[in-house]
Amino acid sequence: MSTALAERPRRSGAARYRQTLWLLTSRDLKVRYSTSALGYVWSILDPLVMAGIYYFVFQVVFQRDVGAEPYIVFLLSGLLPWMWFNGAVSDSTRAFLREAKLVRSTKIPRTIWVLRLVGSKGIEFALSLPVLALFAVLGGAHLQWQVVFFPLAMVMQAVLVAGVGLIVAPLVVFFRDLERATKLALRFLFYASPIIYGTNDLPEQLHVLAAFNPLSGIFGLYRSAFFPEQLDVLEALVGGGMCLALLAVGLVVFRRSERAVLKEI
Amino acid sequence: MDDVASPAGATAPVISVAGVGIRFRRNRRGRRSFKDLFSDSRRRSRPGEFWALRDVSFDVRPGEAIGVVGRNGQGKSTLLKLVAEVILPDTGRVVVRGGVAPLIEITGGFVADLTVRDNVYLTAGLHGMSRAEIDERFDEIIDFAEIAAFVDTPYKHLSSGMKVRIAFAVISRLDEPVILVDEVLAVGDAAFREKCYRRIEQMLADGRTLFLVSHNERDLKRFCDRGLYLDGGQLVLDGPIEEALARYRSDHPPRPAA
Repeated sequence: MSTALAERPRRSGAARYRQTLWLLTSRDLKVRYSTSALGYVWSILDPLVMAGIYYFVFQVVFQRDVGAEPYIVFLLSGLLPWMWFNGAVSDSTRAFLREAKLVRSTKIPRTIWVLRLVGSKGIEFALSLPVLALFAVLGGAHLQWQVVFFPLAMVMQAVLVAGVGLIVAPLVVFFRDLERATKLALRFLFYASPIIYGTNDLPEQLHVLAAFNPLSGIFGLYRSAFFPEQLDVLEALVGGGMCLALLAVGLVVFRRSERAVLKEI
Repeated sequence: MDDVASPAGATAPVISVAGVGIRFRRNRRGRRSFKDLFSDSRRRSRPGEFWALRDVSFDVRPGEAIGVVGRNGQGKSTLLKLVAEVILPDTGRVVVRGGVAPLIEITGGFVADLTVRDNVYLTAGLHGMSRAEIDERFDEIIDFAEIAAFVDTPYKHLSSGMKVRIAFAVISRLDEPVILVDEVLAVGDAAFREKCYRRIEQMLADGRTLFLVSHNERDLKRFCDRGLYLDGGQLVLDGPIEEALARYRSDHPPRPAA
């Protein structure tokens, strides 16, 4: 007997990463659904109520000619992915602070604290898609071949949310004010992104600027499933580039501040 | 059995700490700028910062039991966290081969709203155990913690003693080659503490490596054969535990009772 300790087969880093990511993501969903009676209903009730409000304001009160018909489908196809973006980015401000005890006691790769938010909010988004399908059927919207861009838009959005989260999460640990600043920025971004309107409703001179908001390209791709005219290829390409750029910046910021974050919490 | 007596150089170290230094800010409210968050000059000491550890180097071979001795605030827990790799050094390198079972903030990963069962799977999973391995050990973990009646109770409804018991039971069942212990054993009643001690002794007998931070001389002598004495962030002495304790006592004699 050379050693009493049997060598346990070590799984590869990637498998370990996936397992941990899945554990934490499913933990979040489990906690959410075990502590509230309505559970899943909440993740679709919020966008539904918001969609109801905007529908009323823009369609009934102002009778403005923005977006496309059926407007409720147009709204939801922007609102649902917005909920993902908004939820994950605002939660990432507390990614380390809320889990401080766990971060201090386990050595799991630190990017997981951000990526699990991308995952859990993304899953909620996917689970809310039947609502969109339901309204599309009720409203008589026709599915176009451009629906093939839908998964691409999801990938782009995951990259974008991860990038922004990786920037915000570590910096909030040092600058607590950033938490409120992020909330404010998100509220601004809601109106600055094509959610209640489409980018082609914007004045001509704002089109270039809008393209640099990666959400414009992403939402355009989502919407092209029902409204092909909402897809602007150039916008989508610029948006894709922005997503990758933000992810690169996020990785650098995260890598360079990681050591200081661990000391601080 | 006889490999315990094998020459020191025969086995590769499980823990290797080389030239490690780490500094902290003195005051939490200190001003911070984006510039020093990202500055690369890790070696330079900035105003308002102090070195919690500096130029600490040592190797630990498999099966050794190491006790870390020193007064409060001399970097003992920081050293333990560095070995657990939950914080990263500013200078030098910490290499740990094989996994670590950290008995540090053991209840940290437990979620109040989930049941004991969910929590065991979650915590053991986060420390790298697969589902099958947890299935296999689940009953044993619950037995050890003596909370068989509460398996499906939300964690928040357990008494604080039960919380520590289940946490210890999970972490000590991780089957990792290195165990780190940071005075967690001060909690719990005497009977359970003794049970934990026996578990640790049994793990040592299995050939695991122990890294213990404690103020309790009896515990240190009971488990450890080698001592590291830290003072002012420096590794002052690395030798047999008796020697480290003697040096510690002579540097910091207990104050005579008034």
